[in-house]
Amino acid sequence: MAPTYNIAMVSDFFFPQPGGVESHIYQLSTKLMDRGHKVIIITHAYEGRTGVRYLTNGLKVYHVPFLVIYRSATFPTVFSFFPIFRNIVLRERIDIVHGHASLSSLCHESILHARTMGLRTVFTDHSLFGFADAASILTNKLLKFTLSDVDHVICVSHTCKENTVLRASLDPLMVSVIPNAVVAENFKPISNPTETASHSFGHNPPPARQLGPHDTITIVVISRLFYNKGTDLLTAAIPRILENHPNTRFIIAGSGPKAIDLEQMIEQNVLQDRVEMLGPVRHEEVRDVMVRGHIYLHPSLTEAFGTVIVEAASCGLYVVCTQVGGIPEVLPSHMTVFAKPEEDDLVAATGKAIAALRANKVRTELFHEQVKTMYSWTNVAIRTERVYNGISGAISEADFYGYDAANAASWSATRGRSGVQSFALIDRLKRYYGCGIWAGKLFCLCVIVDYLIFLILELLFPREKIDMCPDWPRKVVDESNDRKDGMR
Amino acid sequence: MLTTAPHLYIRRPSPTTAEFTVTTCPPLTLPLRLALLALSALRLSLAATVLFALYTRFITPPTPTTSPTSTKHHHPPFPPQTYTSSPLSPTAYLTPTHLTSLLHALAASAPGQHLARLTAPLPPWLLSALSGALLYFALLWRLHTTESLLVLRGLGIQTATTAAGGALWGGGGLWGWVVGFGGPATRFIPTEKIRDVLINEAFKGFEVRYYLAVVVEGEEDVVVVFPRLLPGRRIVETVWRGVRGCLYEAPPEGYGYDGQWKRG
Repeated sequence: MAPTYNIAMVSDFFFPQPGGVESHIYQLSTKLMDRGHKVIIITHAYEGRTGVRYLTNGLKVYHVPFLVIYRSATFPTVFSFFPIFRNIVLRERIDIVHGHASLSSLCHESILHARTMGLRTVFTDHSLFGFADAASILTNKLLKFTLSDVDHVICVSHTCKENTVLRASLDPLMVSVIPNAVVAENFKPISNPTETASHSFGHNPPPARQLGPHDTITIVVISRLFYNKGTDLLTAAIPRILENHPNTRFIIAGSGPKAIDLEQMIEQNVLQDRVEMLGPVRHEEVRDVMVRGHIYLHPSLTEAFGTVIVEAASCGLYVVCTQVGGIPEVLPSHMTVFAKPEEDDLVAATGKAIAALRANKVRTELFHEQVKTMYSWTNVAIRTERVYNGISGAISEADFYGYDAANAASWSATRGRSGVQSFALIDRLKRYYGCGIWAGKLFCLCVIVDYLIFLILELLFPREKIDMCPDWPRKVVDESNDRKDGMR
Repeated sequence: MLTTAPHLYIRRPSPTTAEFTVTTCPPLTLPLRLALLALSALRLSLAATVLFALYTRFITPPTPTTSPTSTKHHHPPFPPQTYTSSPLSPTAYLTPTHLTSLLHALAASAPGQHLARLTAPLPPWLLSALSGALLYFALLWRLHTTESLLVLRGLGIQTATTAAGGALWGGGGLWGWVVGFGGPATRFIPTEKIRDVLINEAFKGFEVRYYLAVVVEGEEDVVVVFPRLLPGRRIVETVWRGVRGCLYEAPPEGYGYDGQWKRG
């Protein structure tokens, strides 16, 4: 019988706001619940979404009332979240606090408080950051602060892991890579469904989609239109691509500050009949937009994982993307054409993709099945569960970190039993003190204040006065399924 | 000592009626009754003292000896026959003149003089404000919060709140204090208006609290039962089950939440 945990996912970013982090948290929580764990989500209040809510699958969401400052991130007030966080953690009997997204101050604060309260913490990083500009330096410092005393870190790609290890000066052994996944059923290509039903019987691949030399090729772009998503690159490339290739057209979905640039480009080049702007689409409509196209173009300048290109490939689209961040790790080479993040190369790569499709060299109709075997949320949940087992000591240090690590002399001195970080205040202070000449002392001060607040809260709101939440009946895990999924 | 944590009393006069009362008042034992009685007496005497202080300051002249009439005639300001007449009828003591003379005598006594000396340095506005606050506390302050929910099958439910603190806000006013728990703020919701009775959670201060709520048809907000005390989950669940059992029909055995969730 595998141990089960009570897990709190904490992030500023959650539904109703759409996005990659949001759906990651939701999918992971759902699959962890399927595996017999109890999961709650703590986020801040959104307009029209306040208080304590249940989603339809029994997932409980606490929308804590907090001030939102920028792109739905809350104002960082180091200690103000503590009383309510403690109350939630105690009433839900949480063992593991799992924070998401490095721009979420709610997540950082809760990791700090959770360690003060003696809980295991995990942090998942979803994004890449630079090292040069002022905002990045500040975020990195903040990240270093929180991650000085975290039990484990999960990154969505190896590039992201590299980035996070450097930014937060972490021991690479305590960082795992667990990629995102897609719900392949929601991203089926347009081919008729009866075909797939008989498919398991005869093992026939679906018939190839033949493209004539004069058929129109549709290129789809779905992205928020921000600078970091490469919208400027797109604006520059579209007229050139359309000029070089007759019988092609663009469908662009998404909204953002750069939408106006795109519209100007369309006006200037009189491309109204060849470029269609759809505006914002909901996540469940993304598939319907994708299946209208043949090529998915992803011009992003930085991307930790790029779930959307997996979704596009699952819909049977040939993917043209910039070779940045974690993108090269995501899809096998026969599904993608890579470009450098510059205008000429992007135009050339798109040209190559169009030529390959016209020559019918690419079996896009096979992509869906391939993606389905590569990515599943169940698999993500199993791997995340292993991290939980590792940090709570359910599997041994040697198993979790590898045999070399268990014996290495360089292994962090503040680690205690089976690679589990000690909760003693003095050990925690040691870890924070190494963060920098001034920062280290400042961080230590914060931790001490946090600890004092914890003691005061124990006096003001004693534990036994807090009402315990009843648990929903937990699902029972089928161990045989487990092995099958884990081996994938 | 005089108040406790909120606890629940259930009264079931008939199978179709139930009253759930949540109160901070502990069970009325004899020592508690005596203590409450003593407290009432204390509060009444405090009120009387304040009124008397106001009287000496604002209504009577500081010393009766300065009055020209009393120096000239050398007799008290009330008629002499009160002394001479044989046993007085009880009402005679309550005549305004007699009461006034009594007050004068009190003011001239040592405690009265002391009180006058105490209040003399205070400016009039401060004195009035102080005595107003004291009077309010002594007469209108309520010690216990009591909230109740009365359920009548086929008719509806009625919520009632008698809050601790200023009785003027809690409803009932002076009369409420005199009677005890009379005159609470009530609200009746007829059965056909009740959509549902449910338990929910909400953020309150630095906590997440359970509360019992009635969803009323045609109203945007739910009606929170026991809004002042917000008792804990144990009480709220008992009341919820009781209300549903009384208002509709008792659920089949082994269904729903009973310490542990069961699948029906």
